Amino acid sequence: MNQLERDLREALRRTQAPPHFAEKVLARTRQSRTPRFPWAWLAAAALILLMVGGVGIVREQQRQAEGERAKEQLMVAFRITGSKLRDVQEKLVTIPQRALQRSEQ
Amino acid sequence: MTEADYEYAVREHQGLVYSIALNFFHNAATAEEVGQEVFLKLYESRRAVEPGAHCVAWLRRTTVHRCIDTLRRASFRQEVQVEQMPEVPVEAPETDPLLQEGLRRLIASLPEKPRAVMVLRFGEDMDPEEIGRTLQMPVRTVWSHLQRATAMIREKAARYRMEIEDEPTRTRSS
Repeated sequence: MNQLERDLREALRRTQAPPHFAEKVLARTRQSRTPRFPWAWLAAAALILLMVGGVGIVREQQRQAEGERAKEQLMVAFRITGSKLRDVQEKLVTIPQRALQRSEQ
Repeated sequence: MTEADYEYAVREHQGLVYSIALNFFHNAATAEEVGQEVFLKLYESRRAVEPGAHCVAWLRRTTVHRCIDTLRRASFRQEVQVEQMPEVPVEAPETDPLLQEGLRRLIASLPEKPRAVMVLRFGEDMDPEEIGRTLQMPVRTVWSHLQRATAMIREKAARYRMEIEDEPTRTRSS
Protein backbone atom coordinates (compact mmCIF):
# COMPACT_ATOMS: atom_id res chain seq x y z
CA MET A 1 0.00 0.00 0.00
CA ASN A 2 1.51 3.35 -0.99
CA GLN A 3 1.34 6.63 0.87
CA LEU A 4 -1.54 7.94 -1.23
CA GLU A 5 -3.66 4.90 -0.40
CA ARG A 6 -2.84 5.26 3.28
CA ASP A 7 -3.84 8.91 3.15
CA LEU A 8 -7.09 8.07 1.37
CA ARG A 9 -7.93 5.45 3.99
CA GLU A 10 -7.19 7.93 6.73
CA ALA A 11 -9.26 10.67 5.09
CA LEU A 12 -12.24 8.38 4.51
CA ARG A 13 -12.05 6.47 7.77
CA ARG A 14 -15.34 5.78 9.50
CA THR A 15 -16.70 8.64 11.58
CA GLN A 16 -19.34 8.50 14.28
CA ALA A 17 -22.86 9.53 13.44
CA PRO A 18 -23.93 12.82 15.02
CA PRO A 19 -25.41 12.66 18.53
CA HIS A 20 -29.05 11.54 18.68
CA PHE A 21 -28.89 10.25 15.10
CA ALA A 22 -30.21 6.83 16.14
CA GLU A 23 -32.94 8.42 18.29
CA LYS A 24 -34.04 10.60 15.38
CA VAL A 25 -34.16 7.58 13.08
CA LEU A 26 -36.16 5.54 15.59
CA ALA A 27 -38.54 8.48 16.17
CA ARG A 28 -39.13 8.80 12.42
CA THR A 29 -39.65 5.04 12.25
CA ARG A 30 -42.28 5.19 15.01
CA GLN A 31 -43.93 8.10 13.20
CA SER A 32 -44.10 6.10 9.98
CA ARG A 33 -45.61 3.17 11.94
CA THR A 34 -48.58 5.13 13.36
CA PRO A 35 -51.51 4.99 10.99
CA ARG A 36 -52.24 8.36 9.49
CA PHE A 37 -55.75 9.78 9.19
CA PRO A 38 -57.06 8.34 5.94
CA TRP A 39 -57.43 11.61 4.05
CA ALA A 40 -57.08 9.82 0.74
CA TRP A 41 -59.91 7.43 1.55
CA LEU A 42 -62.05 10.30 2.82
CA ALA A 43 -61.46 12.27 -0.37
CA ALA A 44 -62.26 9.23 -2.50
CA ALA A 45 -65.50 8.61 -0.57
CA ALA A 46 -66.51 12.28 -0.94
CA LEU A 47 -65.82 12.10 -4.66
CA ILE A 48 -67.93 8.96 -5.03
CA LEU A 49 -70.77 10.60 -3.06
CA LEU A 50 -70.60 13.68 -5.27
CA MET A 51 -70.64 11.55 -8.42
CA VAL A 52 -73.59 9.45 -7.21
CA GLY A 53 -75.43 12.59 -6.07
CA GLY A 54 -74.73 14.32 -9.36
CA VAL A 55 -76.01 11.36 -11.37
CA GLY A 56 -79.16 11.28 -9.17
CA ILE A 57 -79.82 15.00 -9.73
CA VAL A 58 -79.36 14.67 -13.49
CA ARG A 59 -81.71 11.68 -13.59
CA GLU A 60 -84.34 13.56 -11.55
CA GLN A 61 -84.10 16.53 -13.92
CA GLN A 62 -84.49 14.21 -16.92
CA ARG A 63 -87.53 12.57 -15.30
CA GLN A 64 -89.12 15.97 -14.63
CA ALA A 65 -88.49 17.10 -18.21
CA GLU A 66 -90.06 13.89 -19.54
CA GLY A 67 -93.09 14.45 -17.26
CA GLU A 68 -93.45 18.00 -18.53
CA ARG A 69 -93.32 16.80 -22.13
CA ALA A 70 -95.92 14.10 -21.47
CA LYS A 71 -98.17 16.66 -19.75
CA GLU A 72 -97.94 19.02 -22.73
CA GLN A 73 -98.71 16.19 -25.15
CA LEU A 74 -101.73 15.23 -23.05
CA MET A 75 -102.97 18.82 -23.03
CA VAL A 76 -102.61 19.00 -26.82
CA ALA A 77 -104.50 15.73 -27.11
CA PHE A 78 -107.27 17.09 -24.84
CA ARG A 79 -107.49 20.27 -26.89
CA ILE A 80 -107.75 18.30 -30.15
CA THR A 81 -110.30 15.96 -28.66
CA GLY A 82 -112.26 18.93 -27.27
CA SER A 83 -112.45 20.65 -30.63
CA LYS A 84 -113.49 17.40 -32.36
CA LEU A 85 -116.20 16.87 -29.79
CA ARG A 86 -117.45 20.41 -30.36
CA ASP A 87 -117.59 19.74 -34.12
CA VAL A 88 -119.54 16.52 -33.57
CA GLN A 89 -121.87 18.25 -31.12
CA GLU A 90 -122.57 21.02 -33.61
CA LYS A 91 -123.32 18.46 -36.31
CA LEU A 92 -125.63 16.57 -33.98
CA VAL A 93 -127.51 19.75 -33.20
CA THR A 94 -127.98 20.59 -36.88
CA ILE A 95 -129.11 17.07 -37.98
CA PRO A 96 -132.59 17.08 -36.33
CA GLN A 97 -133.28 20.57 -37.69
CA ARG A 98 -132.50 19.45 -41.26
CA ALA A 99 -134.65 16.29 -40.85
CA LEU A 100 -137.52 18.46 -39.63
CA GLN A 101 -137.18 20.80 -42.58
CA ARG A 102 -137.19 17.82 -45.02
CA SER A 103 -140.33 16.27 -43.45
CA GLU A 104 -142.10 19.61 -43.64
CA GLN A 105 -141.36 19.81 -47.36
CA MET B 1 -35.44 -9.11 10.96
CA THR B 2 -37.54 -8.34 14.02
CA GLU B 3 -38.28 -4.87 15.46
CA ALA B 4 -35.57 -5.50 18.08
CA ASP B 5 -33.06 -6.48 15.36
CA TYR B 6 -33.95 -3.29 13.54
CA GLU B 7 -33.31 -1.10 16.59
CA TYR B 8 -30.02 -2.89 17.15
CA ALA B 9 -29.04 -2.38 13.50
CA VAL B 10 -29.77 1.36 13.73
CA ARG B 11 -27.58 1.77 16.81
CA GLU B 12 -24.84 -0.59 15.63
CA HIS B 13 -24.50 0.53 12.00
CA GLN B 14 -25.34 4.23 12.18
CA GLY B 15 -21.65 5.08 11.80
CA LEU B 16 -21.30 2.92 8.71
CA VAL B 17 -24.26 4.51 6.92
CA TYR B 18 -23.42 8.04 8.01
CA SER B 19 -19.75 7.71 7.04
CA ILE B 20 -20.51 6.46 3.54
CA ALA B 21 -22.94 9.34 2.97
CA LEU B 22 -20.58 11.88 4.51
CA ASN B 23 -17.65 10.71 2.39
CA PHE B 24 -19.86 10.78 -0.66
CA PHE B 25 -21.25 14.31 -0.16
CA HIS B 26 -18.73 15.91 2.18
CA ASN B 27 -21.77 17.57 3.74
CA ALA B 28 -22.99 16.62 7.23
CA ALA B 29 -26.63 17.70 6.79
CA THR B 30 -27.06 15.77 3.54
CA ALA B 31 -25.29 12.75 5.04
CA GLU B 32 -27.67 12.77 8.02
CA GLU B 33 -30.75 13.06 5.82
CA VAL B 34 -29.58 10.26 3.52
CA GLY B 35 -28.69 8.13 6.56
CA GLN B 36 -32.16 8.53 8.03
CA GLU B 37 -33.79 7.65 4.71
CA VAL B 38 -31.66 4.51 4.45
CA PHE B 39 -32.74 3.30 7.89
CA LEU B 40 -36.40 4.06 7.14
CA LYS B 41 -36.00 1.99 3.98
CA LEU B 42 -34.46 -0.77 6.10
CA TYR B 43 -37.52 -0.70 8.34
CA GLU B 44 -39.81 -1.04 5.32
CA SER B 45 -37.72 -3.93 3.97
CA ARG B 46 -36.94 -5.56 7.34
CA ARG B 47 -38.80 -8.77 6.51
CA ALA B 48 -36.46 -9.39 3.57
CA VAL B 49 -33.24 -8.50 5.41
CA GLU B 50 -31.40 -10.92 7.66
CA PRO B 51 -29.55 -9.53 10.69
CA GLY B 52 -25.75 -9.59 10.61
CA ALA B 53 -23.62 -9.71 7.47
CA HIS B 54 -26.62 -9.58 5.14
CA CYS B 55 -27.85 -6.45 6.88
CA VAL B 56 -24.41 -4.78 6.59
CA ALA B 57 -24.19 -5.58 2.88
CA TRP B 58 -27.77 -4.33 2.40
CA LEU B 59 -26.98 -1.07 4.23
CA ARG B 60 -23.82 -0.43 2.20
CA ARG B 61 -25.58 -1.11 -1.08
CA THR B 62 -28.67 0.92 -0.22
CA THR B 63 -26.65 3.84 1.15
CA VAL B 64 -24.51 4.11 -1.97
CA HIS B 65 -27.53 3.88 -4.27
CA ARG B 66 -29.43 6.42 -2.18
CA CYS B 67 -26.42 8.76 -2.36
CA ILE B 68 -26.32 8.45 -6.15
CA ASP B 69 -30.09 9.01 -6.37
CA THR B 70 -29.89 12.07 -4.12
CA LEU B 71 -27.02 13.46 -6.15
CA ARG B 72 -28.98 13.06 -9.39
CA ARG B 73 -32.30 14.27 -7.95
CA ALA B 74 -31.13 17.39 -6.18
CA SER B 75 -28.71 18.54 -8.86
CA PHE B 76 -25.94 18.18 -6.36
CA ARG B 77 -23.79 17.31 -9.31
CA GLN B 78 -20.33 18.67 -8.72
CA GLU B 79 -18.50 16.63 -11.31
CA VAL B 80 -15.46 18.51 -12.39
CA GLN B 81 -12.57 17.99 -14.71
CA VAL B 82 -9.12 17.32 -13.34
CA GLU B 83 -8.20 20.95 -14.07
CA GLN B 84 -11.07 22.21 -11.91
CA MET B 85 -10.40 19.97 -8.95
CA PRO B 86 -9.24 21.54 -5.72
CA GLU B 87 -5.54 21.52 -5.02
CA VAL B 88 -4.64 18.83 -2.52
CA PRO B 89 -1.42 18.29 -0.67
CA VAL B 90 -1.12 14.53 -1.14
CA GLU B 91 1.66 12.30 0.11
CA ALA B 92 2.68 14.61 2.91
CA PRO B 93 5.02 12.83 5.30
CA GLU B 94 2.64 13.04 8.26
CA THR B 95 -1.12 12.95 8.38
CA ASP B 96 -2.38 16.50 8.68
CA PRO B 97 -5.91 17.89 8.85
CA LEU B 98 -5.50 20.00 5.73
CA LEU B 99 -4.50 16.98 3.72
CA GLN B 100 -7.47 14.97 5.03
CA GLU B 101 -9.86 17.79 4.29
CA GLY B 102 -8.43 18.26 0.79
CA LEU B 103 -8.74 14.57 -0.01
CA ARG B 104 -12.32 14.45 1.23
CA ARG B 105 -13.24 17.43 -0.92
CA LEU B 106 -11.50 15.87 -3.87
CA ILE B 107 -13.36 12.56 -3.47
CA ALA B 108 -16.67 14.44 -3.12
CA SER B 109 -16.00 16.25 -6.40
CA LEU B 110 -15.54 13.05 -8.43
CA PRO B 111 -18.28 11.80 -10.79
CA GLU B 112 -20.83 9.59 -9.01
CA LYS B 113 -19.58 6.12 -10.00
CA PRO B 114 -15.85 6.63 -9.31
CA ARG B 115 -16.84 8.46 -6.14
CA ALA B 116 -18.90 5.51 -4.93
CA VAL B 117 -16.05 3.13 -5.80
CA MET B 118 -13.48 5.23 -3.93
CA VAL B 119 -15.71 5.60 -0.86
CA LEU B 120 -16.31 1.84 -0.66
CA ARG B 121 -12.67 0.97 -1.38
CA PHE B 122 -10.95 3.33 1.03
CA GLY B 123 -13.74 4.16 3.46
CA GLU B 124 -15.22 0.70 3.85
CA ASP B 125 -12.07 -1.24 2.93
CA MET B 126 -13.99 -3.39 0.46
CA ASP B 127 -12.21 -5.34 -2.26
CA PRO B 128 -13.09 -4.70 -5.92
CA GLU B 129 -15.17 -7.91 -6.17
CA GLU B 130 -17.37 -6.81 -3.24
CA ILE B 131 -17.64 -3.31 -4.70
CA GLY B 132 -18.67 -4.80 -8.04
CA ARG B 133 -21.41 -6.82 -6.36
CA THR B 134 -22.57 -3.83 -4.33
CA LEU B 135 -22.71 -1.43 -7.25
CA GLN B 136 -23.77 -4.10 -9.74
CA MET B 137 -20.88 -3.40 -12.08
CA PRO B 138 -18.16 -5.63 -13.53
CA VAL B 139 -14.95 -5.92 -11.51
CA ARG B 140 -13.00 -4.58 -14.49
CA THR B 141 -15.08 -1.40 -14.35
CA VAL B 142 -14.38 -1.12 -10.63
CA TRP B 143 -10.65 -1.38 -11.28
CA SER B 144 -10.92 1.15 -14.08
CA HIS B 145 -12.72 3.67 -11.83
CA LEU B 146 -10.18 3.09 -9.06
CA GLN B 147 -7.20 3.61 -11.35
CA ARG B 148 -8.62 6.70 -13.03
CA ALA B 149 -9.71 8.33 -9.79
CA THR B 150 -6.38 7.60 -8.13
CA ALA B 151 -4.56 8.97 -11.18
CA MET B 152 -6.60 12.16 -10.97
CA ILE B 153 -5.63 12.60 -7.34
CA ARG B 154 -1.98 11.85 -8.11
CA GLU B 155 -2.00 14.42 -10.89
CA LYS B 156 -3.36 16.99 -8.50
CA ALA B 157 -0.74 16.03 -5.97
CA ALA B 158 2.03 16.40 -8.53
CA ARG B 159 0.82 19.88 -9.46
CA TYR B 160 0.58 20.78 -5.83
CA ARG B 161 4.15 19.64 -5.22
CA MET B 162 5.38 21.63 -8.20
CA GLU B 163 3.65 24.72 -6.89
CA ILE B 164 5.13 24.21 -3.46
CA GLU B 165 8.63 23.79 -4.98
CA ASP B 166 8.14 26.91 -7.12
CA GLU B 167 6.90 28.98 -4.20
CA PRO B 168 10.32 29.89 -2.65
CA THR B 169 11.71 30.84 -6.10
CA ARG B 170 8.74 33.11 -6.78
CA THR B 171 8.98 34.66 -3.33
CA ARG B 172 12.71 35.35 -3.82
CA SER B 173 12.29 36.82 -7.31
CA SER B 174 9.51 39.15 -6.17
